[in-house]
Amino acid sequence: MASSSRTPSGSRPTEFTARQADDFSALRRLLLAPEQVQLDRLRDRLENFSLRPQEVSQVLPDAIRLRAQQDNRLLASMIPITQEALALSIKQSPQLISDSIAPILGPAIRKAISRAMREMLQSLNQTLEYSMSWQGLQWRWEAWKTGKSFAEVVLVHTLRFRVEQVFLIHKRTGLLLNHIMAEGVSGQGEEVISAMLTAIQDFVRDSFQQSQEEGLESLRIGDLTVWVEQGPSAILAAVIRGAPPVKLRDVLQGTIESIHAQYSDALRSFQGDASAFLDTRLLLEDCLQAQFVKKPGGLPFSVWVLAALLLGLLGWWGYHAALQHQQWTRLLNRIEAEPGMVITSIREEAGNTVFLGLRDPLAVDPQMLLEETGYAPATVTFRLEPFLALTPEMIYRRALLILQPPETVSVSLEGSQLILAGHGSHAWISAVRERSLRIPGIVSVNMERLIDTDLERFETVRHMLEEESLNFFPGQMTLQEHELAKIEQIKQTVQQLDDMAKVLEIRPSIHVIGYSSPEGSESTNTALSALRAKYVWQLLDPLGLRMISLEAIGRGVDPAALASSPKEGQSYDSSRRVYFEVERLPVSGERGGE
Amino acid sequence: MKQKKICLLGGFAVGKTSLVRRLVSGLFSEKYLTTIGVKIDQKMVTIHDHSLLLVLWDLYGDDDYQKVRASYLQGSSGYILVIDGTRPETIDVAIRLHQTARQVVGTVPYVLLLNKHDLAEDWKVDPATLGELSRQACLVAKVSAKTGDGVESAFSALAEAMLNGS
Ligand SMILES: Nc1nc2c(ncn2[C@@H]2O[C@H](COP(=O)(O)OP(=O)(O)OP(=O)(O)O)[C@@H](O)[C@H]2O)c(=O)[nH]1
Ligand SMILES: [Mg+2]
Repeated sequence: MASSSRTPSGSRPTEFTARQADDFSALRRLLLAPEQVQLDRLRDRLENFSLRPQEVSQVLPDAIRLRAQQDNRLLASMIPITQEALALSIKQSPQLISDSIAPILGPAIRKAISRAMREMLQSLNQTLEYSMSWQGLQWRWEAWKTGKSFAEVVLVHTLRFRVEQVFLIHKRTGLLLNHIMAEGVSGQGEEVISAMLTAIQDFVRDSFQQSQEEGLESLRIGDLTVWVEQGPSAILAAVIRGAPPVKLRDVLQGTIESIHAQYSDALRSFQGDASAFLDTRLLLEDCLQAQFVKKPGGLPFSVWVLAALLLGLLGWWGYHAALQHQQWTRLLNRIEAEPGMVITSIREEAGNTVFLGLRDPLAVDPQMLLEETGYAPATVTFRLEPFLALTPEMIYRRALLILQPPETVSVSLEGSQLILAGHGSHAWISAVRERSLRIPGIVSVNMERLIDTDLERFETVRHMLEEESLNFFPGQMTLQEHELAKIEQIKQTVQQLDDMAKVLEIRPSIHVIGYSSPEGSESTNTALSALRAKYVWQLLDPLGLRMISLEAIGRGVDPAALASSPKEGQSYDSSRRVYFEVERLPVSGERGGE
Repeated sequence: MKQKKICLLGGFAVGKTSLVRRLVSGLFSEKYLTTIGVKIDQKMVTIHDHSLLLVLWDLYGDDDYQKVRASYLQGSSGYILVIDGTRPETIDVAIRLHQTARQVVGTVPYVLLLNKHDLAEDWKVDPATLGELSRQACLVAKVSAKTGDGVESAFSALAEAMLNGS
């Protein structure tokens, strides 16, 4: 403005006065008043910087949107700034960042973990399910027959479909960008397969003159199906076993679209280095889907088997625990009831149960008790000191052991009195008293009902001998032939008595007694009876008796013949005789009761 | 690990398949089994401590009845032109294929191999007469799939050229 006013005054200085200048200015104001206001405003906008941000702020959102629609230069220039800002922000307030990404990371991590768990459970479940069923056995047979692995056979029979491998392939070069496999699938030569798939695509496209965007969608090789999903720069190929559902297509499509959205730059600038695509694994894993034939009926067989096993195990355990407890109490009761054994304490020692206490040597072997009660003997040991038990049972047992009674003798105990009854040999009986009194706990012995069998027999034989009688003819002092014949039998009887006396330790004497009939004179009769006795005594003498002494006694007239006067026709034949009397001196052991 | 796609180009029966087989498995057979379509193999090579996976596209031999499809060449980082040293007519095929390759993938490195070098008495091709074709190649070599002569070094040379180019 200043220069414009100076120019006219410089060209014509003489004609320009101050008044003229005023007039000119007034005229100009009149003519240009509205424009002047505008000019002032414009100058103001140019010179006053504080106004501009306000204006920019009004157009900025639209400007960014418009620019982003054109190309991505704005985006490119913003990347370093954003990155730096982010880095700074993380450094300054890490909590803020972690708080804001936690909602995203959390589910992602959970998803990954649950997928891993699911895979593990599924494989476990399948192996369990089919390794224990009839079906499983059939399949095992099939596996053995065909030489396939059991897992493979199970898979073939139970699989509806499973995506086994997923290839992410760079479209132009056919090079492999990434490749993932399902659990248990073994891949090989993925790079070659990738190129081969591309070559097939090229071939098909060329042969049928299709555009770049189209191509082979599916191909079958044996029981494998390959589904191919085309993207502008990459293709996704899924190798599927079984019959995949149509909705798997959507998954593949969604995946290749996401990959294109996230990796468009990397795809465009790909020069053979696939490391930029390592992270596509997360997206590709969504395609690893599988579906198995469901068993009809609620719970799977494996669960039943497991439950049954568990129940069985529990039952078995319970049964054993109960049995063991029962055996244990039975053992304790048994030991308690067992005479001659006292348990003072039970101790646990290195997994072993040790019983401490006392045991009479005559008591039962504790090992026998273990076997009897069935309680695991290996874990139980006994440490018992020997002692003498004075319980009736043990006294009785000891009495039997010491006395060794014959079967015919019964032994019983009443308090401290030992009662012996029945038949015993003289030798056993004569020792039993003394031996009984040596047994601890026995104070007296009752032998009243104990019969000496040797003595009994002696009495029988003695009786036999005393029944014998040898008859003489009248006036004769020797025996006739037929009476003499009896003497052999008598000799044997006497010999027997002598032998038995030896056993009984007695010295009996046998009186050979002679009688005569009342006929004739008394003096003759007395002499006759003595002579008859002497005659028989002589017959017996050669026996050489050890214990028995023989005595010949003449008693004169038979008193029986004198008492009753003989009737008509009756003779005195039975009076002229010799008979025997055995005198038994008291036996040493025969003392009777107490 | 980097991967690179390589195509083997040449007339029929020049020995493309034999060269790949020699490289990949160290074997050779006199039997001729013509390739139909494409056969793909891979070979890991190490260039200056970098391992590089070569994905080898062994294409069917180009002849009057069946021209090599351009689409197979797409995305190649390099190619191998094979000439049968006992059949000069395979040179023309190589020149034609070279032009096709230039159109499809542009100027990427290639090597020119004169195969069947072991058949010295039947040899009919003079490398000097190859002109343009040999000048642009990063390697021109007489090789033999039968003896293995020069095969490995030819592939290495191409691999190195591709690494330097990218
Ligand atoms: N002596 C000799 N024979 C070779 C050599 N290389 C290949 N052959 C033979 O040449 C024939 C053709 O070899 P291939 O490798 O199948 O040739 P190709 O180029 O793959 O042929 P197409 O696939 O039909 O295009 C076979 O009989 C090979 O044994 C070589 O270096 N020396
Ligand atoms: Mg071949």
